[in-house]
Amino acid sequence: MAQEQIFKNMVDSIVNLDEEKAIDLANKAIKENMNLVDVVEKGYAAGIRRVGELWEEGEYFLPELMRGAQIMQNCLDLIIPYLKKGSEEVSKGIVVLATIEGDIHSIGKTIVGTMLRAYGYEVYDLGADVPAEKIVDIAIEKNANIIGVSALLTTTMFGQKKIIEILKERNMHDRFKVIFGGAPVTKSWVTECNADGFAENAIDAVKLVRSLLNK
Amino acid sequence: MSFQDWLKDNSKIVLFDGAFGTELIKRGLEPGKVPDILNIENPESIVEIHKSYYDAGSDMCQTNTFGSTPLNLRRHNLEDQIQEIIENALNNIKKVCPTGRLIVGDIGPTGEFRPPVGNASSEEWYSSFKMQSKLLDKGVNLYHVETISDLEEILAAIRAIKEVSNKPIIASITYKKTKRGFFTIMGDSLEKCIKALESEKVDVIGANCTLGSRDMLDLVKQAIEMTNIPISAKPNAGQPRIEGLQTFYDQPIEEYVRDIQEMIKLGVKVVGGCCGTSPKTINEIRKIIDKI
Repeated sequence: MAQEQIFKNMVDSIVNLDEEKAIDLANKAIKENMNLVDVVEKGYAAGIRRVGELWEEGEYFLPELMRGAQIMQNCLDLIIPYLKKGSEEVSKGIVVLATIEGDIHSIGKTIVGTMLRAYGYEVYDLGADVPAEKIVDIAIEKNANIIGVSALLTTTMFGQKKIIEILKERNMHDRFKVIFGGAPVTKSWVTECNADGFAENAIDAVKLVRSLLNK
Repeated sequence: MSFQDWLKDNSKIVLFDGAFGTELIKRGLEPGKVPDILNIENPESIVEIHKSYYDAGSDMCQTNTFGSTPLNLRRHNLEDQIQEIIENALNNIKKVCPTGRLIVGDIGPTGEFRPPVGNASSEEWYSSFKMQSKLLDKGVNLYHVETISDLEEILAAIRAIKEVSNKPIIASITYKKTKRGFFTIMGDSLEKCIKALESEKVDVIGANCTLGSRDMLDLVKQAIEMTNIPISAKPNAGQPRIEGLQTFYDQPIEEYVRDIQEMIKLGVKVVGGCCGTSPKTINEIRKIIDKI
């Protein structure tokens, strides 16, 4: 089978939420020594990007999006150990993501994490309701390039500012790029907090990270 | 007069209250705080907000119990206080509810999704809502299940309420507008939701939150063609904008009220407001209803 056809089958397996087929194709790719960077990028990541587009277009909804992301992650879990055996650089950058303390809205942040993974970034998603100190500690531990903080409530978004304050206190503001997400976040809020940017949706978040890291 | 009497009276437009959360923020609600705990910690503010809506002309206002389910309170380590929270909520609203007006038991989402989004099951939802409605029932005239984004979850809530109470239910789902029409984020269409709520024999079918008044007007136009059950609409006053430490909703009240007026003309039975609306909004709607 031509490589392009295999990639297309991988894309289709994610878009059709066919886990059995997706896993089967991943195992075959490993067995046949395919270029696994291409497999991730042109196959599974392309698939989840298509799912993301279908979500934006209102064709797919949360269950499809989350299921697609799960299937992609299961395939990546199979592939990544083999990828790391090679010398090729896999990750374009390290991103630590979390929804701030007091806020349990995690869907948008999870979608952003999925899309960033799909575009080749190493993502640590800390979940929702995470204290600002913990987010900073883990960003240091993981040697992150980007800290992404989500807040969906006007009552919790002030926690986003706290991240910057903690970084300043620790004299570490230059070490990380800090980006915000969530419905109430605006450009003026980002400026006021001295953050590095914000995104209104997952696709914009990828563009933002890419421009901040220049890759 | 009971809510059922209002429903039977064709000339009656029922005026609900407006936003609670944004009113609390104006009064300095701390970031991350569950508003429901303020029933105990700051009852004066809660009473003041209820009173401001009754004074503005609301026929009925809802208890400050949006998040008072065991599933939601658990995340904030407040599950043990559920009884105290709800009892205080009932006392707070009872103090200021004028004769002839009604108290609505407010039931919001549990915050837990079913797989593949989360791990909740219909049984968990059901028992959580059952506990909440059992505690609410002695102090309310009817129920409003609202801001629910999963049809399965609202069905669990309705069944739980019906298990413990015979009081009327308004069932409001929150929809997102897509190119193909209005859907919940879980992918259920407006029509599917309306048919399902009809089968559950709810008293009023509603929509609230997420949509501003203009999009809500479009939704109402469609909904009214799909069912003979009375319709309720509580749209947002546009989208929030943050400046410094304050939140603003920029949609002019006149525009919002004009859209509500259109909804009433179409035959919507219950109107009110969600995020960003205030007693002023409700008072402007009162003036319009009184002219009809």
